[in-house]
Amino acid sequence: MPAPANDELVARWKNRPAPLLPLLHEFHERDGHLSEEALQAVADGLDMPIAELFGTVTFYHHFSREPGCGGRPRFCNGPVCRLAGADEVAADLRAAGHDPAPMPCPGRCDEPVPVLHGGGVLTGRPGGALQSGPSPLPPEPPEGVRECVFAGIREAGRASLEGYRSQGGYEALAKALRDMSPGDVIREIDQSGLAGRGGAGFPTGRKWRAVREAPGGPKTIVCNADEGEPGCFKDRALMDHDPHALLEGMLLAGYATGAERGLVYLRYEYPETFGVLEAAVAEAEGAGLLGGRVLDTEFSFGIVVRRGAGAYICGEETSLLNSLEGRHPFPRNRPPFPVTHGYENLPTAVNNVETLASVPPILAQGPDWYRGLGCDGHAGTKVLSVSGDVRRPGNYEAPIGLPLAELLHDWCGGPPPGRRFRAATMAGLSGGFLGERDFGATLDEPSLRARGSFLGAGGIIVFDDSRDMVAATHNAMEFFAEESCGKCFPCRIGTQRLAERLNGEGPSGFDEWVDEVADLNETMKETSACGLGQAAPLLTESLLRYFPEELRRRMEEGWGT
Amino acid sequence: MGDMKRNGARATLVLDGERLAFAEGETIYEVADRHGRDIPALCYDPRLEPFGGCRLCVVEVEGQRNPVASCATRAEAGMVVRSRTARLEERRRTLVEMVASENRDARVDPLHGYASQEMGALLDRYDARPGRFRGARSGQSRIDDDNPFIGRDYDNCISCYRCVRVCAEQEGDYAISVANRGFSTQIVTEFDGLLKDSACTFCGQCVQTCPTGALADLKALANRDVPGETKTTRTICTYCGVGCSVDVMSRGDKIVGVLPAMDGPANEGALCVKGQFAYDFVHHRDRLATPFVRDRETGELRPASWDKALDRAAEGLGKVVAEHGRHAVYGVASGRAPHEAAYMMQRFIRAGLGTNHIDNCSRA
Repeated sequence: MPAPANDELVARWKNRPAPLLPLLHEFHERDGHLSEEALQAVADGLDMPIAELFGTVTFYHHFSREPGCGGRPRFCNGPVCRLAGADEVAADLRAAGHDPAPMPCPGRCDEPVPVLHGGGVLTGRPGGALQSGPSPLPPEPPEGVRECVFAGIREAGRASLEGYRSQGGYEALAKALRDMSPGDVIREIDQSGLAGRGGAGFPTGRKWRAVREAPGGPKTIVCNADEGEPGCFKDRALMDHDPHALLEGMLLAGYATGAERGLVYLRYEYPETFGVLEAAVAEAEGAGLLGGRVLDTEFSFGIVVRRGAGAYICGEETSLLNSLEGRHPFPRNRPPFPVTHGYENLPTAVNNVETLASVPPILAQGPDWYRGLGCDGHAGTKVLSVSGDVRRPGNYEAPIGLPLAELLHDWCGGPPPGRRFRAATMAGLSGGFLGERDFGATLDEPSLRARGSFLGAGGIIVFDDSRDMVAATHNAMEFFAEESCGKCFPCRIGTQRLAERLNGEGPSGFDEWVDEVADLNETMKETSACGLGQAAPLLTESLLRYFPEELRRRMEEGWGT
Repeated sequence: MGDMKRNGARATLVLDGERLAFAEGETIYEVADRHGRDIPALCYDPRLEPFGGCRLCVVEVEGQRNPVASCATRAEAGMVVRSRTARLEERRRTLVEMVASENRDARVDPLHGYASQEMGALLDRYDARPGRFRGARSGQSRIDDDNPFIGRDYDNCISCYRCVRVCAEQEGDYAISVANRGFSTQIVTEFDGLLKDSACTFCGQCVQTCPTGALADLKALANRDVPGETKTTRTICTYCGVGCSVDVMSRGDKIVGVLPAMDGPANEGALCVKGQFAYDFVHHRDRLATPFVRDRETGELRPASWDKALDRAAEGLGKVVAEHGRHAVYGVASGRAPHEAAYMMQRFIRAGLGTNHIDNCSRA
């Protein structure tokens, strides 16, 4: 079959929702890169200014503009994979005749080192052959722990409609459509205490009510599945192994808010997940669960899945919306918030995968059940992605308020043999890290905020006492500098300056170094336009808080190269 | 706010301890600006949609954890706002020092463009310490772009995107955009090419809104060695009927450049390539300095006195009117002539010859 012509590709996508990224992906897959001719065809077809399209395409990691670059394997050189031998895996690839390119964390930290190649994810260990296989399931929690989103995930066949339904799947939807008003659904979610599990922690019921009450439409549910935070891989597990829970959650969100359109924005680096979600949507459509008249009621709701193209900032909800709309993915100014001015400037609920997947069990078992899953008065659970120097890395659904030390020692098996814990990041990299002396903290926002950090999306990267925390901080800051979108000054310049200062390119005197870095930290935290620039300085803050002597020693002994 | 409206009273907020009324839809920055607060900003151009990039205009709003960008935040009834606390001024100083650290030069010749002194003025205002936050510089200049109008010295770019936004929002050309991310951000045309190969119309609005002089008025800069103080004269562009206000810059008898008038009622700072850059003819060596009259025998043009030239013109026009009637005359005024001359031309055609057949080359 001949490759489709430009016109055919444009015609295929032109009138579908959020067409730009899928259309670019089609051209990229056809040609191995995005040629000037292809971009001109897209600009003409979607009626976009060509300069704007060109600029936007250069924003994403994934799109190559030179022939031949699209086929290179990309290996993770994120914080966890660096600990696990990313450089050696890259050297092995080179020895095998490849030309590997590094990529930021693609969310496989429980099975390092991932390599994205040929449209799929492989994993490699130093000196070993690349393996392919399904992404890891969450490990079993300790005896007696009660789960919400992971309760059924390890059951065989769970990812299929039949398997999901055989375990009670879609019964919460049926119950809501049959017995509950949209207001009832929102009230139950309110009472459950469920709050945004992507990291922002905004109460889900309040968000939904705001969308329900916002004038205008059509309204939209956008699932934020752009899990780009290094050290976070929970949404991958949920989508790979329990995709219908997400779809049911989106349907319930649609019913509660009055939305009829659902969009999943999935990060590019989860290619297998894309297939899983597309299959689940098709199955649900075939069973009358998605589309017009869901389960023969007046409620209609459709879901489409869109792939990102490699840009961390697109996990920020307003960047994500701009990306879906085909605009330059800078974050928007807020207010107005997406609940009134979201996708296509219409009322939109943007919810994380974990948040949405929590909804069916909450409606099935009641808000009090969910509230009761937390520790010490905290409501519910949080999935924590634990990776790095622990014996049993993986996703753990823990009661909110669980002590960090208990998680790392009892759930994750403690440090590697002969090692002690040194530090653990919070919120992937965004929360900076806690030094071992603060491992008594409980995993809830009040406890972590009091220590200058936050739980965020729940990524925890653990470093043992063999690790160089100055180098780890530098690597992490390089990630933020690389991913800063470039819209606001404090983040665009600040992440760059902090990365330089963590690499010996700043002032050579300790006091002057601290003076500049402290000033950058405060200014970024207080004046950056979005979470990226506000969070990045938590890394340098925690380095100064826990490891000033290590830093001083590095400055005295030289930074090396 | 709803209560306020029902009562017919205007909504108010408190700014630095003073209660101020505002109109619905105004931003905090606009309210403050109207009341003479000089809130610093680098990405702000009042003609453009609020962007919120430079963060210099952040203000404290009671009840908000972090300061907010006043340019992008709507005023709300009952807001308590502080625009110049010691903490804010400290952050602004740091931001100014940060942004200075990414550029080669902070001080540029004012002939670069209308807004080109904004960056330098902020360095003075915040007494920025040179060398602070020293590190890599951002932006790559396009010295290969050899167009005669717009210099693209991105070594001095601070990624405020005013150029990109004015091109899209004011001019509607969408000729330039933002490439790459973060510190690697670069202003580009499509496919990173030259302006002449893009949708650029060389209107120069990007130049005039650039706060660092990274974009430069090359024609004005060519006059930087002309001696004398720069004087500006407000006038109306002669090229067409829109009536754009301009401030013509001159030194002695020489025009050294044109600035758009931001308060011009017809153009609000907008110009086209002609109004912005096409004034070479004024001092051009080929410009006629005396009337010419055609020799009846040889057909050659020869310098002549005004009297002789006017006699000859009167003779020719009179002959046409006598033979073919007054409507046989059609006058076309030059877009390069002053307004006064254009006015005289139409008076002459209408009142002097009695016909309405008068036009201007810009419209004809």
